[in-house]
Amino acid sequence: MSAAQSGTTSVSTQFLANIIGKPVSVKLYSGMMYKGKLESIDGFMNVALSNTSEHFESNAHMLKRYENDVFLRGTQVMYISEA
Amino acid sequence: MSLETPLDLLKLNLDEKVYVKLRGARELVGILQAFDSHCNIVLSDAVETIYELVDGELKSNEKTSEMLFVRGDTVTLITTPTDDE
Repeated sequence: MSAAQSGTTSVSTQFLANIIGKPVSVKLYSGMMYKGKLESIDGFMNVALSNTSEHFESNAHMLKRYENDVFLRGTQVMYISEA
Repeated sequence: MSLETPLDLLKLNLDEKVYVKLRGARELVGILQAFDSHCNIVLSDAVETIYELVDGELKSNEKTSEMLFVRGDTVTLITTPTDDE
């Protein structure tokens, strides 16, 4: 469905709804990048990820692996992209 | 949008040991007593670890407190720790 057909839902809302359950990259203002499966997201851009790995800036090497779900605070999020 | 927001999922961690990453190379580990939508957090039996580079060497300092209120704006990440933390 194109953005023009979506009617009331905005492209950004649609994007966020569509990427739930998919592998994503979340970049924070600190420069840290978190890659994992998007469990949930809200209107403040608060994010919950599972199977998360932590990276500095771009892909490079993994700094840390989080076994349990990770909560990222919305105000710290710079962008979210489908990995 | 999913029914369970990320903050809903955080509720599952109440009364559990959590690992909180803060701005400025600081970490907290403690029992999550309460939190709100600003991510203001109350931790009990909290250990704060502060990392700094001294002459290119990574040093860390620890501070403990029985009960700690953390202002939400410094919080970047919250998870439950794995065994080594």
